[in-house]
Amino acid sequence: MSTDSTDGIDGHVTEEITVTVNGEAVTAEVEPRLKLSDFLRYECDLHGVRVGCEHGVCGACTVQQGGRTVKSCLSYAVQADGAEIETVEGLASEDGTLHPIQEAFHETHALQCGFCTSGFVMATKELLEENPDPSREEIETGLADNICRCTGYQNIYEAVERAAEAMED
Amino acid sequence: MSSSQPAEADAEVESESESFTGQGLPRVEDHRILTGEAEYVHDITPENCLHMALVRSMHAHAEIVDIDTSEAEAHPDCELVLTAEDLKADYNPMPTGVGRVKIGGTGEAVELPEWSLADEKARFVGEPVALVVASSRYAAEDVADLVDVDYDTLEAVADGMKAREDEVVVHESIGTNVVDHEHIEFGDPDAAFDDADRVVEGEYSWGRISGVPLETAGVVAQYDDEADSFDIDCNIQLHTLVDETIYETLGYDADDVRVNVPADVGGSYGTKIAIHRYCCLAAMASQQLERPVKFEEDRLENLQGGDMHSSDREYEVRLAVDDDGTMRGLDVWFVDDFGAFPRYPINQVLKPLSVLTNSYEIEDVSYEYDLVLTNKTSQTAYRGFGVDPHIYALEMIVDEAAREIGTDPTEFRRRNLIRPEQMPYTLPSKNIYDSGDYPATLDRIQEIVEDERDGGLLDPEVVAAKREEGKYRGVQPSVIIEPGVSGSDWTDRQRSNRDALEERSREEVEELPEHLRAEISEDGTVRAFLATDSSGQGHQTLVSQLLADELEVLPSDIEVGYLDSVDAPTEYGSAASRMAVMLSGATVGVAEELVRNLEELAADHWSVSTDDVSYQDGSVELIDGDDSLSLAELAAIDADGDERRTRASYDYDHPATELEEFDEALTGKLPVYPTAAFGSNAPIVEVDVETGEVEILTFHTVRDCGTMLNPMIVEGQAHGGIAQGVGAALLEEFGYEANGQPQAITLFDYLLPSIENVPKIEMEHTETPSPFTETGAKGVGEGGMIDAPASIATSINAALEPLGLDEPADRIPVAPDHLRKKIRDREQ
Repeated sequence: MSTDSTDGIDGHVTEEITVTVNGEAVTAEVEPRLKLSDFLRYECDLHGVRVGCEHGVCGACTVQQGGRTVKSCLSYAVQADGAEIETVEGLASEDGTLHPIQEAFHETHALQCGFCTSGFVMATKELLEENPDPSREEIETGLADNICRCTGYQNIYEAVERAAEAMED
Repeated sequence: MSSSQPAEADAEVESESESFTGQGLPRVEDHRILTGEAEYVHDITPENCLHMALVRSMHAHAEIVDIDTSEAEAHPDCELVLTAEDLKADYNPMPTGVGRVKIGGTGEAVELPEWSLADEKARFVGEPVALVVASSRYAAEDVADLVDVDYDTLEAVADGMKAREDEVVVHESIGTNVVDHEHIEFGDPDAAFDDADRVVEGEYSWGRISGVPLETAGVVAQYDDEADSFDIDCNIQLHTLVDETIYETLGYDADDVRVNVPADVGGSYGTKIAIHRYCCLAAMASQQLERPVKFEEDRLENLQGGDMHSSDREYEVRLAVDDDGTMRGLDVWFVDDFGAFPRYPINQVLKPLSVLTNSYEIEDVSYEYDLVLTNKTSQTAYRGFGVDPHIYALEMIVDEAAREIGTDPTEFRRRNLIRPEQMPYTLPSKNIYDSGDYPATLDRIQEIVEDERDGGLLDPEVVAAKREEGKYRGVQPSVIIEPGVSGSDWTDRQRSNRDALEERSREEVEELPEHLRAEISEDGTVRAFLATDSSGQGHQTLVSQLLADELEVLPSDIEVGYLDSVDAPTEYGSAASRMAVMLSGATVGVAEELVRNLEELAADHWSVSTDDVSYQDGSVELIDGDDSLSLAELAAIDADGDERRTRASYDYDHPATELEEFDEALTGKLPVYPTAAFGSNAPIVEVDVETGEVEILTFHTVRDCGTMLNPMIVEGQAHGGIAQGVGAALLEEFGYEANGQPQAITLFDYLLPSIENVPKIEMEHTETPSPFTETGAKGVGEGGMIDAPASIATSINAALEPLGLDEPADRIPVAPDHLRKKIRDREQ
C-alpha cells in the first residue's frame, strides 16, 4: 500500500492502490478523485458495475466491499486501497453455472433492461447472507436502496424468495 | 453485431413443450446481463477515445453576450472547444417537429431552427452552450469549467398557460409561443351540449414527468476520414427512423452515417427518441479531431436539460350528461407545454384521438389544444405518448358527473360502456377498437372489489376503524383502453397542410411495416436479424420462440441479432407497443418464405417437384422416398448455388394497411392504432388525512391483450407500466420555479418509486384475440402507465368522498402537500 502522492499521469496527482477484486489483486495508479465505480468499470474492466445516478440513490453500482454492500459511486478508489471487492462478475462459477440468485432472477423474469440488475443481485446477496429466510417486509427493507424502472419489483420479491429456497437446499 | 446466447437452463422447458408460443419462456437476453457481460453503450470505449463534456446554461432565458474559450483551450488536457458559431460554419440545425411556424395562423411561415448548441440565446436551464473534448470525462469537466460564458439574463416563462399570453416570448423571430393549435369536432358537440340535461365541468393538471431510464444517454462517434463517413454507437430509440435527425444535422447522406444501437439498452420508455443532439455533437467533435469521441450523460444533466422530459398539460374538460346517466357529449380543451423547442418527432397531443372516449360510447366530441413554448427542457415521448393525461382527465370528469347526477360512479360507467356486440367499434375520431367485452371486465373487477368488502381490505368494520385513525380507504373501478401498434403517417399531421387533408387519397398514405431477416447457418442453426432496437422488452426471446414454432426447431437453435441503420431498411421499429404484434407477424411471414425456399432447394437437389417434398421438424423430407435433408445439409447445398435460398426477408405490413375500415382515419392523418388492449383496474388506496400521504394497499387489475405470446413478458410489461404509473400518480414531477429554474435535478428531488412505494399487484388475464393481427396479439407495452394514474386518482377521490372534498386528485402527481392543502382548506 502506497500513501505517497505523485505527479503520475500527465501532471495529475496520483496514488498507487492495490485492491482485491473478485479474488484477484489489482494495482493501479489512480487520481484521488477517481470514483470507485469508475475504477471498477474502467481500470478493472468490470462493466457489470453500472452507473445510473452517481449520487447514491439508484443503487445500480452496488458492489460488496469487505462483505458489505456499498454504492461504489459514493466512494473513491483510493478509499478502497487494501480492500476486498466483489462484483456481479464474481458470482457465477468458473464453468458458467449461474449463482442461485442470478438463476432466480432469470427464472422469475426479475429483470427487463437489466441496467439495475447487478445492483439488485449484489444487494440480494447481502440480504440473504444476513437473513437466509427473509419475509416480504425484510426484502422490502433490504432492497429499498435500489431502484428498478422496468419490472415493478413484484418479480424481484419472487426472485429473492426463490433464491433463498435454492440456497437453503 | 450482438446476438442472443441461448441459456442452458431453457433446455428443460423446451423438451416438455410442443408449442413455445404462449409459454412464459425465460429470456435469452438474461444470461449476459446477469453475469455482467452485456455491452451497453456506456461500456464501449474504443482505443484512442476522447471524452466530451458540455457547458450548459444555468439560466432559463438569457442572451449569450460572449463566450471566452481561451482559458479552456489553454488547459493541457483540452483537445477541442466548439460553440454554436463553429457548428453553423459546417453543419445544419436539428429538424424540428412543427417545421415552419405560421405566424397568426395565416401569416407567412417562419423557420424555427434549433442548433445543437445554443445560438445567441439560451432558452432553458441545461441547454448546451459549448462542447469540450479532453482525455477523460474527469478532465473534460475540468476544461468545461474554464469556458467563460457572459450572459445577459431575460425574464423567463415556465408556465404553459402563462406562455399563451406571449408577454415573454421564447423565440422572438416568430413572436408567439403558441406554435400549433387545432380544434377538431366529431359529430355535433354543440347540439349535444345544448340538448343534454346538464353540463359538468372540471379543470385538471398533469405535471411534467418522464421515463427517467436508469441508463442515461450515451454515444461513441467515430469519423472515418478516408470514407468521409461516421460510425455512431448510441442508445437512441427508433434508430432506423430518427437517424435522419442525425445525418440531416451533420449534412450527410443516410448511407454515410451508420447508427448502431447495442443489443442492450438500459431503458427508454420512449424518452430516448430525442437524444440525437448528443449523437450529432459527438460526431462533429470526432470529425474535427479525427478520433473517436465518447459522451456519457450524467444524471444531473439528464434530469435538468437532457432532452428527456415529457409534456405537461392543463385541461378544461366538459361532459354533457342526461339525468338518466347517459353521456351525451365530450369537450376537451388543453394546453400542452412543449418546452423551448418543438422537438421532432412530437404529436403527443394527437394520439389521445385514438382513444378519444376511452371505453365509453360518446358520439359528439370537441377536441382542442394549444401547443406552447416555454423556457423549459423540450418535450419528448414517454410511454403512453400523451394518452395517459387524456384518460386521467376523462376519468376525472366522469367521476364528477356521477357525483353531480347523484348516481353510483361504477354504474354510470357501466351504463355507457361500449358493448361487445358493437365490436369492431369505430370511434368518432375514426380509429377502431378491434375486440373486447368491456362490461364483462368491469363485472369481474367488481366481483374482486366485493370480495375485498367481505372480510378483506375493504371490510366495512376495518374501513370504519381505519377512518377513526384518520386513514381513509377507497376504490373506484374503471375500464381503460390501451391503443397499440402505431403506424406512422399520422405523426406528420403537424407538418402537413391540414386544409388539404380532405382531398387526400388513400394512395398517398404510407404505413410502415416491420422487417425481419432469417438465414440458415452452416451448422444448421437459424440466425434472425431485427431491424429495430430493444430496451428490455425481450424481442430476441419473442422472435426465437415464435420462429422455433414456425420452423419446428428449438429456441436454442435460433440466434437473434440486430441491424444498424444502414443495413436495416428505414422502418418504424420499437414504439407504441408495436413489437409483439409487428415482430410476430414478421416472424410468421419470414418463416413461411424460408420454408418455401428450402422446399424448392431440396426439390432441385433431388430433381423432383416441390409437391414431392415436405418441410417438417427442421428438415425437408422426400415424400414417398427414404431421404431427408437437415437444415445443416440444406445450408451446405445452398453454399454452392447461385442464389441463396437459405436466406429470407419479410416485411409485415401494418395491420391497418389492408383494412378499408381504417381508410377514413388514414387519409385524414388521424391516429390509427389497430389494436385495443383493455382491462379494468381497482387500486385500493388509503389516504392519511393528517399527512396527505397515499398508500396503495393492493392494485387489482384484469387485463386483456389478445393472444399472449409470452405471458411472463406480458406480465412483466404490465408490472413495470403500473410501477411507472404509481410514480406518475403520486411521486414524480419536474417542478419549475416561475423563473424557469428546475426544482428536480437529482434523484433526491425527482422521486422514482422504490420497492417501498409499489404495491402488490393482483393481476388476472383474459384473452380476446385481435381479428386484425397475424397472431391475435395486441400491443401491451404502454399499459399500466396509461391507466394507473387515472385509476389511482379516481380511487383517491372515492377514498376521500366522506369528507365532501371536490375532486381532491385534480392534479398529477397527487402529492401529499396537495392533498393536505385540500383537506385543510375544507376544514377551515
